[in-house]
Amino acid sequence: MPLTFAQLNQEYVIVRITGQDKVRAHLRNLGFVENEKVSVIQSIQGNLIVSIKGVRVALDKSLANRIMI
Amino acid sequence: MEIKIALAGNPNSGKTTLFNQLTGSRQRVGNWPGVTVEKKEGTLKGENQCTIQDLPGIYSLSPYSLEEVVSRNYLVNEKPDAILNIVDGTNIERNLYLTTQLLELGIPTVVCVNMMDLVKRNGDQIDIDKLSEKLDCPVVSISALKGQGTKEAALKAIKTAQAHQVPRMDKVYAKNVEAALEQIEAILSSSVDNGMLRWYSIKVFERDERIHEILKLKENEKKEIETIIQKVENEMDDDSESIITSQRYDHIGQIVQYAVKKKSEKHALSVSDKIDKIVTNRILALPIFIAIMYVVYTIAMGSTSISIGTMGTDWANDVLFGEIVPNFFDGILTSLHVNDVLYGLIMDGILGGVGAVLGFVPQILVLFILLSVMEDIGYMSRVAFIMDRIFRRFGLSGKSFIPMLVATGCGVPGIMASRTIEQDRDRKMTIMTTGFIPCGAKMPIIGLFAGAVFGGSSLVATSAFVIGIAAVILSGIMLKKFKAFAGEPAPFVMELPSYHLPSLGNVVRATWERGWSFIKRAGSIILLSSIVLWFLQGFGFTDGQFGMVADNNTSLLANIGNALAWIFAPLGWIGDMAWKATVATFTGLIAKEEVVNTFGVLYNFAEVSEEGNEIWTLIARDFTPIAAYSFMIFNLLCAPCFAAMGAIKREMNNPKWTLAAIGYMCVFAYVSSLIVYQLGGLILGEVTFSIWTIVALALLAGILYLLFRPGYKPKTEAIDIQKISIAK
Ligand SMILES: Nc1nc2c(ncn2[C@@H]2O[C@H](COP(=O)(O)OP(=O)(O)O)[C@@H](O)[C@H]2O)c(=O)[nH]1
Ligand SMILES: [Mg+2]
Repeated sequence: MPLTFAQLNQEYVIVRITGQDKVRAHLRNLGFVENEKVSVIQSIQGNLIVSIKGVRVALDKSLANRIMI
Repeated sequence: MEIKIALAGNPNSGKTTLFNQLTGSRQRVGNWPGVTVEKKEGTLKGENQCTIQDLPGIYSLSPYSLEEVVSRNYLVNEKPDAILNIVDGTNIERNLYLTTQLLELGIPTVVCVNMMDLVKRNGDQIDIDKLSEKLDCPVVSISALKGQGTKEAALKAIKTAQAHQVPRMDKVYAKNVEAALEQIEAILSSSVDNGMLRWYSIKVFERDERIHEILKLKENEKKEIETIIQKVENEMDDDSESIITSQRYDHIGQIVQYAVKKKSEKHALSVSDKIDKIVTNRILALPIFIAIMYVVYTIAMGSTSISIGTMGTDWANDVLFGEIVPNFFDGILTSLHVNDVLYGLIMDGILGGVGAVLGFVPQILVLFILLSVMEDIGYMSRVAFIMDRIFRRFGLSGKSFIPMLVATGCGVPGIMASRTIEQDRDRKMTIMTTGFIPCGAKMPIIGLFAGAVFGGSSLVATSAFVIGIAAVILSGIMLKKFKAFAGEPAPFVMELPSYHLPSLGNVVRATWERGWSFIKRAGSIILLSSIVLWFLQGFGFTDGQFGMVADNNTSLLANIGNALAWIFAPLGWIGDMAWKATVATFTGLIAKEEVVNTFGVLYNFAEVSEEGNEIWTLIARDFTPIAAYSFMIFNLLCAPCFAAMGAIKREMNNPKWTLAAIGYMCVFAYVSSLIVYQLGGLILGEVTFSIWTIVALALLAGILYLLFRPGYKPKTEAIDIQKISIAK
């Protein structure tokens, strides 16, 4: 399921990142890679604050929907 | 030998802090050629032969954002003698991603692990020697904020540069990938110099889109390389770029496991997370933000007992520029027996004009101090996140909000703050609309008319903000439908730094940088134009004789005003006030504070208070409410002052766009005022039906059309990742 459906504060593992190659490459550079643990700290109507590799990253819905967990 | 050291690191890793530590005030700020990414260069304290080049904060060396491209072009083409890579010790795993890329460039590198004070406080341990062993380069630990180890880090970089000690990390990737890289290296070896071979082969392997512009490989070489890549891709069932990325992360994971001991795996929410739960909460976020801003503006600009800014400004206006400075110059000038003309020029022209601007400095500085604190503790990036959802509806991104917040103090630093917006069209739109926000200098205009015509109603001031915000929103929607701006704003991604206490140095520096751009105007453009203005309104032709005029209705300025007043007749600037309003509008271009002063002068009061109480009755006689409102709207929205136009020119970096931005603002202001005056006046019975009523209706229809027409649809995918932004 996409990251936007995740429960708050629960740890998930990223299984896939979809979309254009460039979008994927960019998300990867930010630490969103397959098999990485991710949890959602805050969600405002699909816009998320997530914890990945020990840092907090704010993502809008369009990007969060590309991250499959 | 001159040594050039490049400072590279992630956003928020402490690069600016370190750069300031190392160079002190010996900095030169400019732009990277062709783009509006800030370029900072400085000389190392105590080492005149050593230049430090600050690179933009980046997460990787991929070709996907402007900052990354700028940094990587610099590193590859200019080849600094050494790279000083600053790494945030509290987020070491994430930061090493860039480090491992830098180490592939074949440039001597020193890694400095920053924030050691926080690392120690968290009880974590970073083994510098083990890290150095794994990265094959010198590693030092520093605390940039406390100034610990910073000088040593720079000296280490100089030493490494002099020894030309190039790191050579191998066995980073899986066996078959390393083998493929070696094969590619063999093919490239004839066209690339030895030191850069590994970098180029990795980039070629990743099919980096910009590499082929540089390398110019032959067709058969390209084919050969493609076969090598595809073989690995088939073996690993993934695309080559992902393979490199994942294996790079794996390798970093191993390094971290070997060299770093975390006290505890963090699963629980940190303090910072707990704060975020509240301040970015779906329901509470906006009320909290509004409450904070209310306090900020009360302290800076309000009129309560905690309004430090206003007290400072009152003192500057009444005492400093009301008594001390004039008395001082009066004393000097009288004892020198200068003639009346020169006395008038200095006392009324220069001191009056410059003083009016400098009087705002306390309010502006207090506002900027508070905004800088909000920025430094990490709240501003949350604000951008909260606002993104709202701003996206009219085609701007959350990052456009910070420039607008700053612009409530002064438009110049506001427009400059648009730099952090990466995507070109988002930034241009922000520059074009930020000037609509009522800045501190426009407040007296509002004060004058609220007091003179509207019985001091606070609704007028509120409506000024509403008009400013409405102008931003309407412009956002209308502009977005043009081809130049079409397409979604760049998707929002932003790292949110942990909340931390503000540092005095950072706050002072940020406040000063913004405040200075405001103060600088007083000494330059405002000084000059005060002199010109004083001349134009004091001199003229009487009975064919040129000379000083007693009645400024016959001054040169009045001549000019009368000659141009017809332009504004459709906005209701008619009768006795027409030329005065016209002149005041033009002097407003020098600085918006000048508008009220000009009315003061034109109504024959040499000195008026900030809100011009002395001329309220005269204004009320000449301006009908609707004409006053039309004048206010036009002056709030039209071309900003010269200093802000200069900022627009710098940030647009393109004459056509500069003209477009300023022209757009003027046209928008004119059309809005015309509609309000003609239609509002008709409803109130002040204005009769005329050809202008029809024009106003047509313009209104035009605006509605622009708002609701289907916009230009870009054919490519909405998300243009090329320009995607990762600001701090
Ligand atoms: N505790 C601590 N904070 C630091 C240190 N170095 C920088 N900071 C803080 O980290 C934040 C980001 O620093 P800055 O220099 O603006 O980072 P940049 O984005 O890389 O330029 C600022 O609030 C600094 O005060 C350090 O050594 N220790
Ligand atoms: Mg910085």
